[in-house]
Amino acid sequence: MSAPAGGPDASPVRILVADDDADIRDLVEFKLTQAGYAVEAVPDGVSAWEAFEASPPQLAVLDVMMPGLSGIDVLRKIRESEFGAVPVLLLSAKSRDSDVDTGFAVGADDYVIKPFSPRELLHRVNGMLARAR
Amino acid sequence: MIIGATLLVGATVVVLGACLLLVLLVVAVRARRHARLQRDAVLLSPLRMPLITVASGEDDDGSAADELRRATGATRDVLDRNVVAMLSKIRGVPADQLVQVLEEHGAVELAAAELTSRSTVKRARAAQLLGLARAGHAVPLLVEALGDEAVEVRNSAAYALGLIGDPVAAGPVLAAIGAPERGLPAATAAEALQSMGVGISDVLRDGMADANARTRMVAAHLSAERSFTRGLPELRQLLDHDPDLTVRETSATAIGRLGRGEDVDILVRHTAEADPLALRRACVVALGELGETRAVPALTALLDDSDPRLAELAATALLTMGPDGTAALVGHEDDPAVRTARLLVSLQKASA
Repeated sequence: MSAPAGGPDASPVRILVADDDADIRDLVEFKLTQAGYAVEAVPDGVSAWEAFEASPPQLAVLDVMMPGLSGIDVLRKIRESEFGAVPVLLLSAKSRDSDVDTGFAVGADDYVIKPFSPRELLHRVNGMLARAR
Repeated sequence: MIIGATLLVGATVVVLGACLLLVLLVVAVRARRHARLQRDAVLLSPLRMPLITVASGEDDDGSAADELRRATGATRDVLDRNVVAMLSKIRGVPADQLVQVLEEHGAVELAAAELTSRSTVKRARAAQLLGLARAGHAVPLLVEALGDEAVEVRNSAAYALGLIGDPVAAGPVLAAIGAPERGLPAATAAEALQSMGVGISDVLRDGMADANARTRMVAAHLSAERSFTRGLPELRQLLDHDPDLTVRETSATAIGRLGRGEDVDILVRHTAEADPLALRRACVVALGELGETRAVPALTALLDDSDPRLAELAATALLTMGPDGTAALVGHEDDPAVRTARLLVSLQKASA
């Protein structure tokens, strides 16, 4: 289950992961790195936005409930930026229909509910990147 | 005068001393907690990477899981706590592999034993672990824990039973809502029952005849949530005859979601002015949800109701009923209820 390659000489696809839960941050980073992606993992929304602004990734995985800026806040900022087309996957324990609706209404490309299957998350990331090409 | 001043100084010294003691106590507790966290981090450190490897589903050769299995003593205790925390975040094969680690460490068996511990915290944690480990063999013990003296343990047991998802526990969970003195919050029970599959439909039907109103309400609500149409006869009975208004409202809502053409009559009957306003409103919304055009005349008549909110709900229901419903609004375009309903429907469409 490897990452979609950008070509034999292409640099790895860059993904930004933001989650204040170290367990999830570490395992998502590990899973995506093992799949061949270059991952930058940060622990909160402010760091996520700073990292995004400094070097926009090809995809972002954002936790919804983070201190400072929430994942929804960061997603809004991304959509308003000049790199607004970057695919964003929201990862959240908020599982109500209204929570999912809000995520998509703000512009998420996908929404994964915790507890989640790391394998399924990777499939979704691969799919989003393939569609974004 | 001097005595008064001395007393004042004495009292101030005592208060300041007590404050100082309190601060020292808080600092000591925090320092102890910090030291424990530090110690745990050091103990877990060599196993952190194997844990992440297993949790991410990347342990293809099983070597990381083997490392976790080999942990002993205090390291094993810390690891097991972290494994339990991880189980609440992931699912699938990696979660199953982590459960195997817990089983081999004896943590699942220990948790089953700790359900009868004298410590409330230990009992609640034990129930949580059994649920996250999907320990089907512990269902009878968890069912017993639904009657625990501590509400934390009862909640934790219900949550665990929901995670295990065995419909055998549905009856006890539903009954626990109405247990005198040691009841289970309705929302907790409903959440647990939601996870128990289709095997709970008979339990819900029985629950609608329970003596406790909250139990009947949860049973009615879940029948609709799970689309159990077999419960329709009981729902109609509750709507017609239940002594509790909330149960009747919940039943009306459920009929709106599950009902058939024949249910127009019962819902229309309870939109009459003789019924409580909350029930009339619930029935109007249910008629809109049911979407049977046979309800159009009754809903049209309600456009002139003395309750503006009910008139507005009737207009909203008609707007969702296609051409027949829209045609019924001709001549009422300037009614405030119709104007508000149109605005609300267009806003809903825009935000969808």
